[in-house]
Amino acid sequence: MELKNLSIRQLNNLFVDKKAKPSELYSDIFDASASSESLLHAHLSLFEEKNLENAKKSDKRFEKGESTGLLDGIPIAIKDNINIKGELTTCSSKMLSNYRSPYNATVIEKLNNENALYTGKTNLDEFAMGSSTENSAFGLTKNPWNTDYVPGGSSGGSAASVSARSSIGALGSDTGGSIRQPAAFCGLVGFKPTYGTVSRYGLIAFASSLDQIGPITKNVDDARIIYNAISGHDALDATSIDNNQINIPFDKSAKIGVIKELMEDGISDESRNEVSKVLENLKKQGYQIKEVSLPLIKLSISIYYLIAPAECSANLARFDGVRYGLRVEGKTSYEMMQNTRAEGFGDEVKRRILLGTYALSAGYYDEYYGKALRARKKMIDEFSNIFNDVDYLISPTTPTAAFKAGEKTSNPLEMYMSDLCTIPANLAGLPAISIPTGLSKEKLPLGVQIMSKPLTDLSLLNFSEIIEKEVDFNTSPEGLEK
Amino acid sequence: MSDFDIKNIAKLASINLSAEEQEKLTNDLSIILEHVQALSSLELDTNIEDVFIHPLEKELKLVEDIEIDSLTHEEALSNAPESKDGKFVVPPSME
Repeated sequence: MELKNLSIRQLNNLFVDKKAKPSELYSDIFDASASSESLLHAHLSLFEEKNLENAKKSDKRFEKGESTGLLDGIPIAIKDNINIKGELTTCSSKMLSNYRSPYNATVIEKLNNENALYTGKTNLDEFAMGSSTENSAFGLTKNPWNTDYVPGGSSGGSAASVSARSSIGALGSDTGGSIRQPAAFCGLVGFKPTYGTVSRYGLIAFASSLDQIGPITKNVDDARIIYNAISGHDALDATSIDNNQINIPFDKSAKIGVIKELMEDGISDESRNEVSKVLENLKKQGYQIKEVSLPLIKLSISIYYLIAPAECSANLARFDGVRYGLRVEGKTSYEMMQNTRAEGFGDEVKRRILLGTYALSAGYYDEYYGKALRARKKMIDEFSNIFNDVDYLISPTTPTAAFKAGEKTSNPLEMYMSDLCTIPANLAGLPAISIPTGLSKEKLPLGVQIMSKPLTDLSLLNFSEIIEKEVDFNTSPEGLEK
Repeated sequence: MSDFDIKNIAKLASINLSAEEQEKLTNDLSIILEHVQALSSLELDTNIEDVFIHPLEKELKLVEDIEIDSLTHEEALSNAPESKDGKFVVPPSME
């Protein structure tokens, strides 16, 4: 079997036993990029030379028995809204097409400590706003399972790169499903950790109370390894918390809730069937399963599309042509700012900034933003009550499998609906994972989402691994070179 | 949505919009704002002033007030569209 198809633990074992070298893995990965990038456009930039050099350093550490752990020499793709010092961080926006970060994100510092390699920076919807990676100023990314279809978004480049084996794992960011939805569309594991357990320092902010960095990988164990490496309190992020994990059962004594509202209208039969298949399996193993109701989930899109744009309008105010990024000249500073923002931002970003500006404007604040905040609090209370009864909540990750490129671009609301199942976990700060479970009739992957209460990330990963073993999904896209 | 003034919102957001964009965005935003009206049916506690800062209602940790390494002056200016004598250069505030 080729190295690029192996898990992180398998690769590490081979390196430790001197049966393979990180530089061989890197060559394997780079060959995969060479054949897939022109087809998929997963990466915006590739770091070939630097990687070869660093991979050889990893070779030497393994030769001497001085490796720094499981991620030593493992090529990881980084979403292009996460800063790596000296490299471009474009956020797939014309606004930042020449922005070279003068500092590392905390997650990059942590991966550097582990001596992980970076394949490059991956494509995304501009400033992480979108569900298909079609909103990139640098061209769309395609789904490795069928290039007529989108890979999901906004971390579509990260998901496509792992799926096409041009990286072993990837970092994405998830504000309303941007890790889990592309993972589901590309047949991968996508994990959004508990809010605050992974530092957001160096992640270009979209909606600060919702954004969270996490891994996209071929399997649950790889996600766990990356999560363990990148999590932990960081003084540079004021919302960062101590990662004091709570253990909840993941064996047969665990209680499972299936969310009634996410098995009803608006969810395709195929997506529902995947959940039923998993539940059947868990039942056979002896798990207790019950239907639970979270009525406010049905309002999550409404809550989200007030809070996220409001935060985005404030966060993106910094792009004004003064300190970094694009500048379009004007006679006065104000004219320069207006021209710069008109030219630098794409349609979806403008739409969300304007929506947020309106929701926060005098006379409308209470009616829109204030109401959404209170509804969010009520939804969090609903989740807290449910978690007194059950340990894990199961639902589809997405209402359907991947859609065709161009299918939803003319109707923003229809596009927003594709995040129906994933948004609630962001609003409530919960850990949530998507694991691939099967294929649609078009042979496109489908995933199942599992959520648990805050700070139970590791138990959630353990439980997900049990499902993963039973389902035994083959994450290699058919048709692409294996 | 009769009072939705796209020109005023665009001015507040400091984004120049073409006439075509104004029309398209007015339409898009009207559809979205109509959808979020679903929240008006909710009975919510209107007394909550400080709703929250952190989704987990965690008390935020304050950092110690000590000097730490940060960007150098040069690094901070390295992405500036225009700079001079260690400062950002912008067009005049008034014509």
